[in-house]
Amino acid sequence: MTKPPRRVPAALDIYVDHDRCVGNAMCLTLAPGVFAHNARRQSEVVDPEGDAIADIIVAAENCPTAAILLSDAATGEPYEV
Amino acid sequence: MSTQAVLTDDLFAPEVIADPYTYFGALREIEPVHRNDRFGLWLVTGYEELVWILRHHELFSSAVIRHVEAPPYPPVDAADLPLFDEIRDFRANQLVEQDRPEHLHQRGVVHGYFTPKAMERWRPFVRSAVAELLDGVHAKGSMDVLTELAAPLPVRIIAEMMGVPYEDRDRLRAMADGILYINRGEPYRLRPLARAVRGIVDYASPLVRERIVDPGTDFISVLAEGENRGVFDRRQVLVNTGLLLFAGHETTMNLICNGLLAFIRNPEQWERLRADPKGMARLATEECLRYDPPVKSTQRIAAEDVEIAGRTIRKGESLRWIMAAANRDPAVFSDPDTFDIGRQPNPHLSFGSGIHYCLGATLARVEGQEVFRGLAERFSRFELATDRIEYQPSLQFRSVKSLPVRWPA
Ligand code: HEM
Ligand code: SF4
Repeated sequence: MTKPPRRVPAALDIYVDHDRCVGNAMCLTLAPGVFAHNARRQSEVVDPEGDAIADIIVAAENCPTAAILLSDAATGEPYEV
Repeated sequence: MSTQAVLTDDLFAPEVIADPYTYFGALREIEPVHRNDRFGLWLVTGYEELVWILRHHELFSSAVIRHVEAPPYPPVDAADLPLFDEIRDFRANQLVEQDRPEHLHQRGVVHGYFTPKAMERWRPFVRSAVAELLDGVHAKGSMDVLTELAAPLPVRIIAEMMGVPYEDRDRLRAMADGILYINRGEPYRLRPLARAVRGIVDYASPLVRERIVDPGTDFISVLAEGENRGVFDRRQVLVNTGLLLFAGHETTMNLICNGLLAFIRNPEQWERLRADPKGMARLATEECLRYDPPVKSTQRIAAEDVEIAGRTIRKGESLRWIMAAANRDPAVFSDPDTFDIGRQPNPHLSFGSGIHYCLGATLARVEGQEVFRGLAERFSRFELATDRIEYQPSLQFRSVKSLPVRWPA
């Protein structure tokens, strides 16, 4: 199924679902300015603008449990990776 | 109370192999971090302790094979011991045995191939492979689930991902079956195992040579690209080709067999799945993974002295983390011994946790979902065609030796 091309949001809201995050740390490698581990070694957003939007999207795509949920900061629309 | 007074210390005792849940569950209640002197192992059975250990990769090394000198157990024919070193060297070079920083570089090469979205695209292929296998047995009225469904399916998928030509499928299947001897008790088992390991190197070598210069979209090309970038040497490319063939085979096989067995023993859950196979497949697969996990336990080595749950694990000591026990920790799961396919959330540890979290988790999930859905759509009910289920004598894998079932016409 082909979908129409989507506009990448100018700013993202980023949410990490801690029921899913397994501390794989891929996001910390791919977007180290945005994500950091807490004491349980689950990912937290420390600065939503800490990396380029493209890097944040790549980090979300590469989360092995799809724990990183993105939405358009302006409209609240979910941005599915 | 001393654990030794109430529980055996023989981890291969027939009753422990037959039912690890009672034994490791008892250990978890008495001492979630326990020292077994007979095998020189720490056994970690508590959920919290286990997650903590897996998330502290800097304290617990994954380079187990390189550092543990123990001879093969159960024992093997003495004349075969040189093969043991060859097999150890093969396994020690695999991604799963690396620590940071190498692990991060190597995982970075293969990680992108296995993203949830990329694996979702394989669902139609998985579904048609399931359909083909099930259509092939349906009229017979009986099958051995292990050899007729659970073993062939993952090899078919992996072969496609590797980009193996169709006519080579049987050869690959034979190698994949040879690698299963890793987990057996037969004293001669190192021979078929070594044959399979050499077979993979011989078979994959020319494929890798081709793909180094002319890459495709298959994952041997992904590994070859890692060599081009200087992350892997040739040996590591070949060894990790072997890892992917192995890591996705026995594990997925066990998910299918152990899951179907749980359904046969819990007919009301089978009816629940049958009422809505497509809708229930996802949660049902998670519960199969939790309830009777394909991998019972795996290993780490303490990289320094670590104090946990009142015990001190010394640098260099081995530990096994037993997800089969943690998955039934009542502190996390209500009615943990009940097979409940609606369970949610279900934060089981069957794919591990932390930096080594299973690379193939999404693929395995897709395979499990399509199998349980496909079974529930086609068959009204299964019964066991044996009164005795036997398991391979392994600490690591929860593998039935066979699973004969029949169904009404
Ligand atoms: C139900 C099926 C599966 C189960 C239960 C399972 C379980 C696991 C577990 C527990 C680990 C962590 C090992 C550790 O931390 O020491 C792991 C790692 C791994 N799995 Fe799976 N696995 C399954 C299927 C697959 C499949 C289908 C593939 C590939 C096609 C795969 C490839 C891997 C690889 C490459 C690793 C090493 C990851 C790393 O070290 O970063 N697995 N698996
Ligand atoms: S990549 Fe996903 S699982 Fe890993 S730490 Fe980040 S959010 Fe958690």
